[in-house]
Amino acid sequence: MLNYKPSEKEIDKIGKFSVEEKNFRLENLKNFNSFGFPNKQEEDWKFSDLRDIVSKNFAKLDLKLNFAKDENVEFIKDFEHNYIVLVNGKLTIKNFQYEDSNQILINTYLNKDFSNKKEANPLIYLNHALSANGFNLEVKDNYKFKKILVIYNLFTKDLNENILNSQNRIKLGKNSELHICDYVINKSQKNFFNNVYENLYLETSSILKNISIQKGKSNGFFYKFSKNILLSKSNFSSFIFPLGFKFNKLDLEFNLKGENIECNIQAASFLRKGDHQEIKTRVNHLAPNCKSYQKVKNVIDLEAKGVYQGKIFVKDIAQKTDAYQLSKAILLDEKSEFDAKPELEIYADDVKCSHGSSSGNVEQDSIYYLMTRGLNRKESIQLLINGFLSEIVGSIKNQTIKSFIEKELYRQVYEH
Amino acid sequence: MLEIKNLKASINNKQILKGLNILIKPGELHAIMGPNGSGKSTLANVLSGKEGYEVSGELKYQGKDLIKIPIDERAQKGIFLAFQYPTEIPGVNTNNFLKTSLNKIRKARGEKELDTLSFIKMIKEKSNELGMDEKMLSRQLNVGFSGGEKKKNEILQMKILNPNLAILDETDSGLDIDALKTVANGVNSTRNKDKSFLVITHYQRLLNYIKPDYVHVLTDGRIIKSGSMELAEQLEKSGYKGIN
Repeated sequence: MLNYKPSEKEIDKIGKFSVEEKNFRLENLKNFNSFGFPNKQEEDWKFSDLRDIVSKNFAKLDLKLNFAKDENVEFIKDFEHNYIVLVNGKLTIKNFQYEDSNQILINTYLNKDFSNKKEANPLIYLNHALSANGFNLEVKDNYKFKKILVIYNLFTKDLNENILNSQNRIKLGKNSELHICDYVINKSQKNFFNNVYENLYLETSSILKNISIQKGKSNGFFYKFSKNILLSKSNFSSFIFPLGFKFNKLDLEFNLKGENIECNIQAASFLRKGDHQEIKTRVNHLAPNCKSYQKVKNVIDLEAKGVYQGKIFVKDIAQKTDAYQLSKAILLDEKSEFDAKPELEIYADDVKCSHGSSSGNVEQDSIYYLMTRGLNRKESIQLLINGFLSEIVGSIKNQTIKSFIEKELYRQVYEH
Repeated sequence: MLEIKNLKASINNKQILKGLNILIKPGELHAIMGPNGSGKSTLANVLSGKEGYEVSGELKYQGKDLIKIPIDERAQKGIFLAFQYPTEIPGVNTNNFLKTSLNKIRKARGEKELDTLSFIKMIKEKSNELGMDEKMLSRQLNVGFSGGEKKKNEILQMKILNPNLAILDETDSGLDIDALKTVANGVNSTRNKDKSFLVITHYQRLLNYIKPDYVHVLTDGRIIKSGSMELAEQLEKSGYKGIN
């Protein structure tokens, strides 16, 4: 049973810091140590008792600061792309060959904000205390990327009961546009914990489209907190296809601070063999005339667990808000679990908000229909699962990326 | 082709089929008519192998016992069921599904799997014959299809899969007169001396276009009368109550 309480020495291992930064890190470390990993007593963690999960799966959690640099990256060959490579969170390669480099700033993330924020989230404290890596990407005003940017998130094979903390920040200038494919490649067969703190900042009229996918299953325990600001007329969309981590929690917060913003979050996951995944969203409508759309689909099998906690908050001035939220789950065995907690908190009176959640087994009538066409039971179920999940892929407009994602998703379903 | 003797079927302890006898020889088209609740769809389900029924009696297809054969194997052996209410399958592309199904069945027959080009050629030809818009086939299987489109899609599948025995469960219900003729043509164009059909219907209307060799009246789980096309005409005039 691990009771993880990192000491000041851990901070010193990361590097030498200014007094101000050291104090900031120490303060955060103290805060983390007074809480520990969050457990189910906390509302935000009621379906995912991380304290219990960590203590059951880890005997120790060491920082991983040095690692082999020559890990081979299996680059995607399906489409031309710019890329950066993060090895265990550290920015190691950047290649923007299709772009005007004067319009892009990319570097290792350095936190310069040491103001003491009161966060009710121990993992953010932990991240602020021990963050060692990450990247900062800025796109200048009016610049539109010509090709997609692939972020290769490589986890090395020597990871073993390690903890990685990183911070990433992406800022899009006014009227700029960027498409990202976040691609996780995991080479470690052992357990490790990856704690990411992310900030996205979308200036007026900018467009950010993000697709997250992973190559193969991972033994990683992933937590990502993403706190994002969207300004007027900006357009954000995220398609998330996590296809199996031992633990994965995406904690996504969007603050819609201007008018006519569109925010679209869609996820499709196939969870099995004890996978535990939670997608938690909070969309704050803080200005009028914005649209948000959330759709989360899960197929859950072999004692896996899926959770969706989605909250839509509409401030009193955010009239004409159009917010939609739907979660659907298919459970393939009796020991699988799906928990959903949809929430609406609305203070404006002229809004359109809807939410829904459903879960159930595969439709027996559908299996019957497919079997009368010569498919056996397993093939019928696979076709139905693939169909259920690929509805989300269907919303991706770029055909090349869409085919790539379809292929990856198909592989996951049929390797089952 | 199909030999049904004293077939009984019950579901949730309720007996639906109470001893049914039908003999369908190769090349024959049999029509089954009967009032609501007489067991017509149960018969179609039992023949296709749907689970959940307790079945007894004799059910022989091409001389072999069918009762213990699972649904997919029956399909592979050449039994096809056109559904009364075809199931909508979201996310599954109609064309991909048709290709998967066809190749599964071809493989079981020991035939070579069809490549994409040959498949597209085939589907183009067959869907044109049924006056179907090909674009429909790139949509999700039966999702958002009108009643008529769904039924045509069933007949398209029948034409593609080329079964020995096709069971049509109320394929005519909900069709306008033009669609009815198209569906009937679809059936007629596949009739030959080796293929057999079992057409389940409420109305004589369809049988004006698909001429049956035999007509059976199914009431309360039993065939109470068998005859020729004249029997269907008589039914149309006097209703089921007029049949003894």
